[in-house]
Amino acid sequence: MKKTLIIVFSLIAITALQAQNYYVYVAAESEDEVALVKFDGKKAETIKNIPVGIWPAENEGPHGITVGPEGKYWYLSLAHGNPYGTLYKYETGTDKAVGSVTLGLFPASMQVSAATGLLYCVNFNLHGDMVPSTVSVVDVESMTELTQITTGAMPHGSRLTSDGLKQYSVAMMSGELFEIDAISLKITKTLDLDEASKMAPEDHSMMDHSKMDMGKSKMGDEKKSMAGMDHSQMDHSKMDMGGMPAMKHSAFKPTWVSTHPTKNLVYVAGNGAAEVLEISTDTWKTTRKFKTDKGPYNIDISPDGKRMVVSYKTAAKTGVWDLESGKELARLDNSQKVTHGVAISSDSKFAFVSVEGIGDDPGMVDVIDLTTNRLIDTAYLGKQAGGIAFWKIER
Amino acid sequence: MKNLKKALYILALLFPVTLFAQKEIVIEPANITMEVGQKKQITAYVMENGKKLNDPINLLSRARRSLSIDSTMMAHAIQPGTYDIVAVADGVRKNFQIKVNYPAIAEIKIDDIPQKIYAGTSVALKYHVIDKSGATRDDVDVQFSSMYTNIAEVDDFGTVNTLIPGKATITVKAENVTNTITVNVVSNPIVKIQLEAEMNTARTGDVFHFKAKALDKNGKIVPDAPIFYSFSGVADNTSQSASGLIKNDGRFVADEAGRYTVTASCGVASASKTLKITPREVTRKIEMVGQGSVNDKHTSDFWVWEGIDGRDYAVTGTWGADGTAYFWDVTDPSNISKIDSVQVDARTVNDVKISEDGKICVISREGASDRKNGLVIIDVSNPRDVEIISRFDENMTGGVHNVFISGDYLYALSGGQKYYIIDIKDPKNPRAVSKFELDTPGHSIHDVWVEDGIAYSSNWADGIQLVDVGNGIAGGSPENPKQFASYAYPNKANHASFPFRSPSTGKFYVIGGDEIFPYGLNTGKGGVNMAGGYLHVVDFTDLENPEEVARFEIPYAGSHNYWIEGETLYVAFYNAGVRVVDLSGELMGDLRKQGREIAWIIPNDANGYTANAPFTWGAQLHKGHVFFSDWNSGLWSAKLEPEKPKNTPIKVK
Repeated sequence: MKKTLIIVFSLIAITALQAQNYYVYVAAESEDEVALVKFDGKKAETIKNIPVGIWPAENEGPHGITVGPEGKYWYLSLAHGNPYGTLYKYETGTDKAVGSVTLGLFPASMQVSAATGLLYCVNFNLHGDMVPSTVSVVDVESMTELTQITTGAMPHGSRLTSDGLKQYSVAMMSGELFEIDAISLKITKTLDLDEASKMAPEDHSMMDHSKMDMGKSKMGDEKKSMAGMDHSQMDHSKMDMGGMPAMKHSAFKPTWVSTHPTKNLVYVAGNGAAEVLEISTDTWKTTRKFKTDKGPYNIDISPDGKRMVVSYKTAAKTGVWDLESGKELARLDNSQKVTHGVAISSDSKFAFVSVEGIGDDPGMVDVIDLTTNRLIDTAYLGKQAGGIAFWKIER
Repeated sequence: MKNLKKALYILALLFPVTLFAQKEIVIEPANITMEVGQKKQITAYVMENGKKLNDPINLLSRARRSLSIDSTMMAHAIQPGTYDIVAVADGVRKNFQIKVNYPAIAEIKIDDIPQKIYAGTSVALKYHVIDKSGATRDDVDVQFSSMYTNIAEVDDFGTVNTLIPGKATITVKAENVTNTITVNVVSNPIVKIQLEAEMNTARTGDVFHFKAKALDKNGKIVPDAPIFYSFSGVADNTSQSASGLIKNDGRFVADEAGRYTVTASCGVASASKTLKITPREVTRKIEMVGQGSVNDKHTSDFWVWEGIDGRDYAVTGTWGADGTAYFWDVTDPSNISKIDSVQVDARTVNDVKISEDGKICVISREGASDRKNGLVIIDVSNPRDVEIISRFDENMTGGVHNVFISGDYLYALSGGQKYYIIDIKDPKNPRAVSKFELDTPGHSIHDVWVEDGIAYSSNWADGIQLVDVGNGIAGGSPENPKQFASYAYPNKANHASFPFRSPSTGKFYVIGGDEIFPYGLNTGKGGVNMAGGYLHVVDFTDLENPEEVARFEIPYAGSHNYWIEGETLYVAFYNAGVRVVDLSGELMGDLRKQGREIAWIIPNDANGYTANAPFTWGAQLHKGHVFFSDWNSGLWSAKLEPEKPKNTPIKVK
């Protein structure tokens, strides 16, 4: 018996010492490629580039990416089409495309429900007029779009509760948070995030408004100066909306929502307000406000529920937060400009952060050790690394 | 053994419980069949271990436009067919089918046929099978029969061939429904056909206009005689078929040199005319003159213009790179030199255009780092030191793929859906004044070109759209664009459009170009590619009835951007380089087969971004030189040998 125990413990010790490989899929939005990145605990590298899209001379913009709950397939939204974007289904490992379906305008982030097996993808509709867009609901077995649920202007950040019964998304321009019942496909709750931010339990006099991302141009690197007017700063309320009433333009500008793995809480990134709101899905009220660096964009919560990792797009940094204390444990510089997505490994040990870069910069994935809160290594991939999804740990 | 059991138990706990393992969704009734238009209540509930649960459940149709199910589980059959339904509840799902029966055929409608049909001629029946839901059906077996086959026979496709005078009954049957018409066959008075054409010799590609008259025994014209045209021929090249195209209005064009016989017939009467076709002989030499190399990134569109200092300049864009546009001095086409550049926040500067006065340049932006795409207006008064004047992004964030400048207005595509018309009288403060967008389902747009106050947009499946933006033909203006004509072709690949008013015929053509990549596109360094697609020549002379009359196609290559000057077309065909095409005279049929290709030139560059992989983007004639841009190698110039005067005497010493 003693011998057996020794053998068992030895085996466990050997196994623990063996390196674990982590795999993430990352979309390179301006390269029309998806990279498979492998991280062995020390080094991160792109081990495969998967070309995507069917309109070769056009940039189709792979944007959102997710791995299904069973790990057999990954799903990719291609933002641009003629004019509608497309959702593709790929087999993990072989990375062969096995199905596709046309969705709405600029399909973006998405997730598959563990309860219904359906995929919920927001149609970001970045193409112009600020009108309410939709969440596409897709039967991934047959790759059929079953319905579109109208939400707000520029919906983004589709995430489900761990039981798969509620889907959350935010509307970037109309500043709303939506809760959708994953079975009935009805909107069950809506929250005005600008109001929620104001009502949040925090002393607003402490806020540093100078850090707010007010949509500044990223054209600072242009060789020639832009002497003229920047029309991105125009008053949208004066636009010709074809007879439509002018839509609210949220100052909070929510870009992402993530769910807590065990508690009835969601976390919303306020890209325009430099803050993350914690909202109770029971009371539908803000419970905490986390002041962040400029331009919080994506959020992921560690599967153990202890850490929140936030990409600060404008600041080109990543924040690691302790959810229990509400304190930012680290604010790390990313390897280049335009920090984008976050995916945390299933063992809650590592955060993989995609960093877009500008122009012909290569896309990058920074790997952060969530035990030491340090950046360990960077993998390189095609231009504009954006959507990122954790696939698996392999021993 | 005990330890093994324990281990297995722990393993079982560790492994995730399989989804949908214990629950089951029950659908009642089990087999559902509906009729079109019918509504039926479906019952669905979740069972677990024999116990009925009150779990919420949703039924979702995979074909909701053909069979919809509302939140009360009421199914509504819209179209016939068998449809998959997905039932979902918490942790359980079930797929089942609902069959919607095809409605029975209600009637067969047969279009009117001539009241009298001359014996020996034929008539094709036009019919429509309508079911009880009112839908026209083309999926049912239709049978034809004649009661008096000695008078008229009918084939399997509904063509009635008449034999002798008399009345024949023709029956059309689908399922158990029939319709019967009576064909009145009368004695054929036609004893002679007179056939005339404006010429009996011509070159390949020249269009004949045959006129046939059917005459009775008294020499009188029988005006309602149905006349059919056909041709046969023997090519001079004995291994080549004497191909051509004939239309039933008497137009004929030959592809090959040789002898052709055109026949007009009506019953047993016929007349033929023999034609001698000679080679078109328009080929000329073309020689490469110069190159402005870009070999560290892909090159996109370009524009050549005369600067305000009288020298000649060009601007080129870049693709899938760092948002750079280059400016070149091309005054000496054999010595193209890079003189300046701008870099904007983009990965692709797909299009570049210059104003008619040579002072303003506009470049498009796609792939911006903040996803706020748009366009940039540049002062090119001094092309050696260009200055960005302003940026325009409003409603352009989805990406500007193509732009055009006409007068004081910019035309800029937005997100592949529409184009905006932007007033640039004050280029520092551009201002959108209107937009043009179709309302068809899933409409999209690729390009816009403006000439004489008409905007020609290329709209993929919606084809070529002609919009009055100041011409006056439809009362339009830049502030109030008005669409007045369109033409869509079946392959849904309309990518470019260019107007061509034929000086020699007065006809108004618009040439629509495809963009197709049947073999994909390797965009990386080292990628060698082939494109597909061709040019469609559409005769818009009758704006209400545009007709696709001709094509220009290069096998195993695909069309991209082009330019027409005089009666000559300069077209980039990606991997097949630049093709120069004779557009003189009336256009009909396969222009390349007709020998209308004047010249071709392919830019091979051993130092290209991808070496020796020509992929030509567009072409433009400027002061006698053919300029063109290539995806892998930058900007090029070539010189076409002047056209030799016909019948030039040969000088001998």
